[in-house]
Amino acid sequence: MSDVLLGLKNLKVIFPAQQGIVRAVEGIDIDILKGECVALVGESGCGKSVTSLAIMRLLNTPPALIEVESINLGGDEITKYSENKMQDVRGKQISMIFQDAMTALNPVMTVGKQIDEVFIKHNKLSKKEARIETIKALRLVGIPEPESRAKAFPHQLSGGLRQRVLIAMAFACMPKLIIADEPTTALDVTIQAQVLEVLRNMQKSHNVSLLLITHDLSVVAHTADTVYVMYSGKIVEKAKVEDLFREPHHPYTEGLLGSIPRLSDTTKHFVQIPDSVPHPMFKPTGCYFHPRCKYATDICKEKMPPLVRLDNGREIRCYHPINFSGGENNE
Amino acid sequence: MQKSFIIKRIIYAIFIFFVVLTLNFFIPRLGVDDPAERYYPPQGNMSDIEYEIIKQVTREQYGFDVSTFKQYTNYVEGLLRFDLGTSFRTGNPKVSTLIAERLPWTLVLSVSNLVISLCIGLIFGTVAAWKRGRWQDSLLLNLSTISVALPAFFIALILSFYFGFELELFPAYTNPNMVSQFDWSWEAIKVVFFNAALPIISMSIGGIIGYSQRTRNSVIAVTNEDFVLTARAKGLSQNKVLFKHTLRNAMLPIVTAVGMSLSGLIGGAVIIEQIFNWNGMGTLFLEANNTNDYPLMMGIMLFMSTIAILANLIVELTYSLLDPRITVGEKR
Amino acid sequence: MKVLKKVLRKILNSLIGIGLFIGKIWKHKKGKIGLILVALLAFVAIFAPLIAPFDPYDVTERAAKGLSPSWEHLLGTTINTGQDIFSMLIYGTRVSLLVGLVTGIAIAFLGAILGIIAGYVGGMADNLIMRIVDIMLVIPTLPLTIVITNLFGKSYFIIVFIFVIFGWTGLARVIRSLVLVLKNSNYVKASELAGGSRWHIMTKHILPGVSHLLIMNTALTCAGIMVAEAGLSFLGLGDPTAISWGKMLAEAQSGGALLFGHWWWIIAPGIGIFIAVFAFMRIGLVMEEILNPRMKASSGIFKLFKTLNNTYIQEVFDGMNEEVLTTKEGEIS
Repeated sequence: MSDVLLGLKNLKVIFPAQQGIVRAVEGIDIDILKGECVALVGESGCGKSVTSLAIMRLLNTPPALIEVESINLGGDEITKYSENKMQDVRGKQISMIFQDAMTALNPVMTVGKQIDEVFIKHNKLSKKEARIETIKALRLVGIPEPESRAKAFPHQLSGGLRQRVLIAMAFACMPKLIIADEPTTALDVTIQAQVLEVLRNMQKSHNVSLLLITHDLSVVAHTADTVYVMYSGKIVEKAKVEDLFREPHHPYTEGLLGSIPRLSDTTKHFVQIPDSVPHPMFKPTGCYFHPRCKYATDICKEKMPPLVRLDNGREIRCYHPINFSGGENNE
Repeated sequence: MQKSFIIKRIIYAIFIFFVVLTLNFFIPRLGVDDPAERYYPPQGNMSDIEYEIIKQVTREQYGFDVSTFKQYTNYVEGLLRFDLGTSFRTGNPKVSTLIAERLPWTLVLSVSNLVISLCIGLIFGTVAAWKRGRWQDSLLLNLSTISVALPAFFIALILSFYFGFELELFPAYTNPNMVSQFDWSWEAIKVVFFNAALPIISMSIGGIIGYSQRTRNSVIAVTNEDFVLTARAKGLSQNKVLFKHTLRNAMLPIVTAVGMSLSGLIGGAVIIEQIFNWNGMGTLFLEANNTNDYPLMMGIMLFMSTIAILANLIVELTYSLLDPRITVGEKR
Repeated sequence: MKVLKKVLRKILNSLIGIGLFIGKIWKHKKGKIGLILVALLAFVAIFAPLIAPFDPYDVTERAAKGLSPSWEHLLGTTINTGQDIFSMLIYGTRVSLLVGLVTGIAIAFLGAILGIIAGYVGGMADNLIMRIVDIMLVIPTLPLTIVITNLFGKSYFIIVFIFVIFGWTGLARVIRSLVLVLKNSNYVKASELAGGSRWHIMTKHILPGVSHLLIMNTALTCAGIMVAEAGLSFLGLGDPTAISWGKMLAEAQSGGALLFGHWWWIIAPGIGIFIAVFAFMRIGLVMEEILNPRMKASSGIFKLFKTLNNTYIQEVFDGMNEEVLTTKEGEIS
């Protein structure tokens, strides 16, 4: 298992509040291999973003309370790092791309300066040297005229360009891992494709691992190698991307896939999942998904199903898994 | 910042100045037809003819003997030569001379007040935001409610009572010789400092708390923004995040607040000056009021307005320097 | 009759609305203090003649000049005229509350109307209103008030008038910027598309949208105005015959309270001002907290963290632990 870059073990995050305890993340494990793109998929409110911030150790405590067995980054246990040491990790070894580049960039600072900061901090460059690197980085993500664009303020750039700036910033020091939190959600569909293309090319050509956080399975299909499906703070399914799309085992995954419109699909309507994610303070008993699951039986209402690791590497948390093509227990 | 933006703002400031100037000219002429009557109210033991003669002399002396429109153009013309008119005081001193004499003394109070309030307020506010929800923050919130409810002049009275009369630490009334004997010597500066202590403290208590509260709210609002998270995710140290990203953005509303206090730089200390008998613009204005010295009152008013207009202009230009999103005529 | 019914129903509705809002403030611990204090002040102001033990205007009781506090004269008497300070304090409530409330409500009306017109109608009207605001902002209010009282005589009517003329600008700006947001909201657009008249939209959609902000600002304006009134009265610009807290402070200063160490003569009106302003501030701030909970200071989260039961938290964390089962694909059922 030496090629595991990030090993996240048993991460739990809760938010105590006056009315009760919000269980945001309930013990999840994620392994990311070197150069791999892992997607973490789920509806909004299922704890995806909290997970990413917890890996970066950017969650404020308070309000959050975190317990984690291990966050192993390339052999180093970063849970024990001091805040100072963590600052050397952020940007240098793990970096992050946020959802909305308009708000994620400082409005009163030129984008060039904002990227310069990364080089100045981690590569100990002078301002001038940093700017040369910044322009290189901007060119790498396909920004035309990077010299003049570096002097622009965020509001002077288009949405697509801003997102590229964020990508350039994340790749600046060629970190080992990049966490992209809904990197394309705020963009138009056509721009989305371009930005994803840039992101994937950068990731593949520099052999960087990517943790892609999204609710959009169509994004996953084009980009990811491995997919974790998260529901209400728990992992419900893990699979290679082709396997997942070919035969989703968890009813929730099936539902998510059913919500993607396909032209080839002429017979069926959209399959929708009724209702929405339960409020993290008032989760149902048993399997969190059972109120929305058409396969649910009595046991689903009583006991949380365990996470079962199959010998082909897939993981599944369900009493009534579906779509077993080769197996005897096809639904 | 575009040149056209600067020019536009300057032209607008000049427009405002002319409106204020016109108001300033006409307000004292409200209610009474003859400005000479303002200067010399009718007195019982005087015959009508005598009174007419006196009024006639007054009119000629102060330029009231021409039509109102001509008076207005004369007034504007005078202003272009920085002539604010002539005071009704004995010896007929120029209003501008009187203002020039008193202005530095008011500035001693108001500038120290502004500097102290701003510096301490910024620090306290940032600390409160940093320690949000902890005792430092709650203390600031409680203090800010209390300080608004305790007017500066009440604080001044209490300070003057306790430190001036009871403890006799600082003078409760300004030394009347302070102004006349001021000669830039070390001793004289010490006297000024000694006399100004109580007025400045009573003015700046509210200011400190006000700026702290503003800074705190502004910093908290900015801390919740995504770009602060981005900055932290880049691995920047907490200090860098605070100073280069959070405070830089949090400063924007503070600049506006400073602009507001700049407008009150001269007129803001009227009551405090009166309590401590401080020889500044405020007391000058009250003296003018007591003697019905209209040219002096209006001169001071116009001067104050002009300072306010300039302050607004400076704030707008500074703001557009600090915030690149500001384009022509558009505020955030 | 129909019109009367309609008007009555409207008044009733708005009263219910205000009642509900007051209920919200009442639920707040801090708001409760504010409401109680305002009620108390109103009671004192209305029944001042019954509460005050002496006639505060009585300056003939010369034998009792400069008394220290006693059971008879709770706050002593003035040094120069021998008036009962406690009775003056009671009567002072009237001026402060009256000026504060009348001005606050008038400013609310003017500010709301002009702010909504500037924001919703826009164009020339907006331009004109905002230019007037710009001009008002650079005119020094206190000196102008002095000039006006010099011209037209001293009275609280003039003071209220000037406060209103200069006070609406801030409120109008705030309301205007909120209206600009509301104007682009979907429900206003829907109403426009449905053919709602400007008047209909302004009164039925925009006004309710800004009402909370308006009430909050009115409470804070009242507080600010009471401080300003005290200042003007202190300078002797109020009605010379009335008793007000600001004037009491001025009389204390000129009457030798500082010199003879009669601190109660200064503290008493100061506390009067403090309580009145504090009460309105509290109400305003509680409303602000209700409207904008993000700014809340004592978010309680720190207190909560201190009281958190660690064993309970540990139980919550431990409750999330579970075994991962391993199995062959074929064996799953």
